[in-house]
Amino acid sequence: MSPHTFILTLFLILAAIGAAFFIHLYRVSCSTEGPGLKKVGAKRLFTLVLLLAVFLILLSVTLPKSPYYRFTDVVPEKTVHVTAMQYTYMMSYDAFKPDMSDYKPPEGGVITLPAGKPVEFRVTSADVNHGFAIYNDKFELVTQTQAMPHYVNRLRWQFDKPGTYTLLCLEFCSSGHPAMRGMFTVK
Amino acid sequence: MPTLAFKRITSLWIIVVLVLFLSAISMGILMRFAQGSVSPMDPAKFYVLMTTHGVTMIGAWAAASILACNYLMARYVKVSTGLNLFALIGTGVGVALLWTSTFSGNFHAGWTFLYPLPFKAGGGWQAAAANQFLWGLMLLSIVWLIWCLGMVWQILQKYSLPQAFAWQHLSKKEPAVETPPLILITMVSLVGMIVCFITAIILLAMFFSESGWGLSGKPVLEAKLDPLLMKNLTFFFGHTVANEALYLGLAVVYELLPELGGRPKLHTSWYVSLGWNCAVLFILTAFFHHLYMDFVQPQGFQIVGQVASYLASVPSVVVTLISLAAVLYGRGFRWSLPSLMFLVGAAGWIIGGIGALIDATISNNIILHNTLWVPAHFHTYNLMGNVLFALGFFCWVADDFRGTVDPRKHGLKLVLMIIGGFGFVLMFYLGGAYSVPRRFAFYPAELTHAQLFATMGAWFALVYSLGLLLVVLNVLKKCFLVFLPQRS
Repeated sequence: MSPHTFILTLFLILAAIGAAFFIHLYRVSCSTEGPGLKKVGAKRLFTLVLLLAVFLILLSVTLPKSPYYRFTDVVPEKTVHVTAMQYTYMMSYDAFKPDMSDYKPPEGGVITLPAGKPVEFRVTSADVNHGFAIYNDKFELVTQTQAMPHYVNRLRWQFDKPGTYTLLCLEFCSSGHPAMRGMFTVK
Repeated sequence: MPTLAFKRITSLWIIVVLVLFLSAISMGILMRFAQGSVSPMDPAKFYVLMTTHGVTMIGAWAAASILACNYLMARYVKVSTGLNLFALIGTGVGVALLWTSTFSGNFHAGWTFLYPLPFKAGGGWQAAAANQFLWGLMLLSIVWLIWCLGMVWQILQKYSLPQAFAWQHLSKKEPAVETPPLILITMVSLVGMIVCFITAIILLAMFFSESGWGLSGKPVLEAKLDPLLMKNLTFFFGHTVANEALYLGLAVVYELLPELGGRPKLHTSWYVSLGWNCAVLFILTAFFHHLYMDFVQPQGFQIVGQVASYLASVPSVVVTLISLAAVLYGRGFRWSLPSLMFLVGAAGWIIGGIGALIDATISNNIILHNTLWVPAHFHTYNLMGNVLFALGFFCWVADDFRGTVDPRKHGLKLVLMIIGGFGFVLMFYLGGAYSVPRRFAFYPAELTHAQLFATMGAWFALVYSLGLLLVVLNVLKKCFLVFLPQRS
């Protein structure tokens, strides 16, 4: 199951449980006879302990998977410098100034990255906030970071599947926003 | 008890909120049809609608929540007609500035207007339109800051500061002065609102430091402010105002739900006091989850964002949900349209909260950030949560103006809103889970499923609007009647 499907399934199950709880509440509230909710204090305590336990487990499981901690102990095989601007991405293996004066395009015009090896994107912006979202050939969002003027976000990732990857901007950057895209290949 | 003048100003506010809501929902439906390629739209026009829709919706329902709490506060403290009139006039001028900046000036940087986008239009709008939009927000922030401060002042005329926060309930089971839940929740939510309006004023002043303080503005050639700081301030303001509005809506539910069903009033206890005081602290720090994908943000803030987002839900569930269950459980509750709206609204609030918690988990956010999952969860707890809390209040108060009660459930209207509303947000969730970006005026050819979700979403929104319209027409009719000469 892909992470996208897992997230949707998890949400639908939890939402259904939530909806069932409220439907149950409505049904019992309509009964003419009934004892009312008993042991309310104990129920509160149980819910509190349960929620805190679930959150503690979730934090300990999910935080280490945060992008800030992934591939931090390896040397990236390749580094790609990215400057986003309304409405394109300029990419190079060599660092370049925001005004593009020393920009060196990649050979063949396309960035090519090795499959199965960690790589690093150093992402900034020449004008406004942009997104730097990487989509695979099925157009599933793989990973992302933001492109912010004056700052460089370092995104490390390892692409296991060769192919063409598409870049979309996920931070609204004015009317050309949906047309802003880029690409690179993984071999 | 509210005076006739207070009822009239409340009535006027309700009319304004509903007209704004109907306008904004129409814009939303047009946008979803455009995304579905049913009625394609020029991107600049799409983003004009998107900006106006966002700022109008957030503002209208925040105002509705404040208004509802103020009306109900009249049961406990002295309230002011003049203050609400001042807020209404100020809001009218603010909205006029915002709408003319978008519809006439073509400003379309989104309601989040992330720095330095208002100054980097790429030819989309002039500096004057950007400054007009920012001045519209500045005026609203100042007016609403005064509105909220005025309400806090009204509370403090009767309750001391610790009593307003219900701190006496933390140490004593039956203190000499009981703080009603409505006062407690209103007070803590207003404090949050006040903090976020002050933040908005600072944020906007920083914008003006570059563009000039005049209404016409000047072109900004080089953006010199710190974009990360500006982004933090923007989301602190935007996230907080949306969440505090929801909490104010819950204050209304605490006050009215037992009464409508023929149950005893809810009382403040130590855990209600503790829960609501904690909720405000958590919600003020949860906004960091909007910046998870800015890796240059200090990592401590990112962790705080996830922890605070989780913890913010604890008081909601442990205190509010179980209190509601205790009110409703098993003794012939008398249902009517307002109380049913409160119940469905609570369900929307919880389901939207589940979507929000999934998104607030950093490892999920990397594939959900700025996809349709974001509008999915906030539409769930606004459209199917806060809007229903406020609409429930509107239905109730429209009868309360005349001292009557409508015991009918109006089941069909609500069923249309439930099917339409949850169907509408489900299309957002499907889009978000399958990587469809938010804020795209049109979708790339590869995202064909996105068009289907958009079109289906628009149709569901039309079903919701039909149910809504039936409710709104009834409320509006009763609101207009308040202005007729009253029999003594």
